[in-house]
Amino acid sequence: MMTWTKARRAVIALVALTAVYVLAAEIGHGRLPERLWLGAHYVDNVKLLPTWRQLTEEGAFLIESNILVDSVVVSTRRVTLGLLLGSVAGILLGLLTGAASRLEALADPWVAFFRFTPALALLPLFVVWFGYGESSKILLIAANVAVVTFLGAHQGVRGVSRVYLDAAASLGAEGWLRFRKVVLPAAFPSIFSSLRVAAGLAWVTIVVAELVNAQMPSLGYLLALSGAYPRTPTMMIALATIGALVLVFDLLALLLYAWGTRWMERAA
Amino acid sequence: MTAGAPPPVLEAVDVGYGYSGPTPVQALDGLSLEVKDGEFVALLGPVGSGKTTLLRIFAGFLRPARGRVRCSGASVDGPGWQRGYVLQEEAVFPWMTVRGNLEFGLLAKGMGPDERRKVSDELLELIGLTAFADAHPKELSTGMSKMVEVARVLATDPSILLLDEPFGALDAHTRQRMQDALARLWAQRRKTVLFVTHDAEEALYLADRVVVLSPRPGRVKARFTVDLPRPRSFESRFSPEFLALKRQVWEATGLDAG
Repeated sequence: MMTWTKARRAVIALVALTAVYVLAAEIGHGRLPERLWLGAHYVDNVKLLPTWRQLTEEGAFLIESNILVDSVVVSTRRVTLGLLLGSVAGILLGLLTGAASRLEALADPWVAFFRFTPALALLPLFVVWFGYGESSKILLIAANVAVVTFLGAHQGVRGVSRVYLDAAASLGAEGWLRFRKVVLPAAFPSIFSSLRVAAGLAWVTIVVAELVNAQMPSLGYLLALSGAYPRTPTMMIALATIGALVLVFDLLALLLYAWGTRWMERAA
Repeated sequence: MTAGAPPPVLEAVDVGYGYSGPTPVQALDGLSLEVKDGEFVALLGPVGSGKTTLLRIFAGFLRPARGRVRCSGASVDGPGWQRGYVLQEEAVFPWMTVRGNLEFGLLAKGMGPDERRKVSDELLELIGLTAFADAHPKELSTGMSKMVEVARVLATDPSILLLDEPFGALDAHTRQRMQDALARLWAQRRKTVLFVTHDAEEALYLADRVVVLSPRPGRVKARFTVDLPRPRSFESRFSPEFLALKRQVWEATGLDAG
């Protein structure tokens, strides 16, 4: 019931945002300059705020020509594979270093090093290592996702309350059983919330990677191409599509989090 | 000790324990204590008298710096199910169902699912939570959760129970109901119990003997034998004998000085 109220409010907020934009575009239509100096030359016929009609026409073209659908499929595939690969690696490694205190000291400097290294700093290296194809992009996402989920799992295991560990030990549970039945579920909230952050980060990574290393078809390429003309209706549609995909992934991650922590007490 | 008498189930001789750190604290100093088989002993003392420290030593989480501790004649090397330890903090596993919590110790012992279920069914009935078997602890009240923790350590059938202020966080009414529930449990299962509390009335209502600890560093300040008939009831709390004992205990803990 609470969830439906929230969902309804989210939809209302999205509709309101769209309405404000459409209204602004209508007011701006014919009033905004259409000839722009873009550093080296003038460009004519620029639409700073494309109207609803211009957007739907462009959208129809992008859909009929299969450009949009292909781009969505390609980019989503990269994000999904990168997320899977990166989170499995990150979570396994985090559980390992979290459970073994001797490994923690070894892992710490590496984590500090990679934690704040911008995703794209690795891109040139990854292109050299793995080529221009799919693997460099998927692995770039995986690397970023791995760092975030590693931290989530590591801190989750480290943060398990002494109370639960003592209770388990008093009940005679040790080793693997204690890890599986006590440490792991106690670390779930931290692991699943890091996964949610990772889902968002994966999209940031892929769009920027595709912008830099632009190849058809992909959402990043669609943005890069529409920026070159410039063709703002295409930009707006690409942005809205990316936003919608991020929203879907965030929702999925949220559902996963809710499932993993369904035993937790929640503020209403 | 007379020859032939069974050795005490719990025995602490001249135990000392200190916590190091920025503010070193001597928690226990020269404490000696014995609990006989099937006896219910309450350990009473103000905050910081080392009650929890002593219980954690018996449970196997701490090693005494001085003196020695024995359980059923053997030294204590680390925690184990043989001493059912209920922590002061809320330690019911929130990710397991009530039944999952009750069966966890049996799982650790390698017992099969059918046998585990038999034991958990019995315990659920004992604590009156059969309807909550498949509920998660978030659906329970604090008192019910604590009862699950007590029942959880009973599952593996240890001969010793170490209870650290199990009802400390409860309101007076629930507390009384929980005390009665514990008294019934103890009457049925006859465990050796060491029960930590800072509530004199609770100590007297439940225990055969009350041991009063001094403030830091904790050592035994006074011992009382509670010769009130069992089962004790609400009325027992107001009997002249009970009240007289309560007065003595309060005086021993220094509460009379205000």
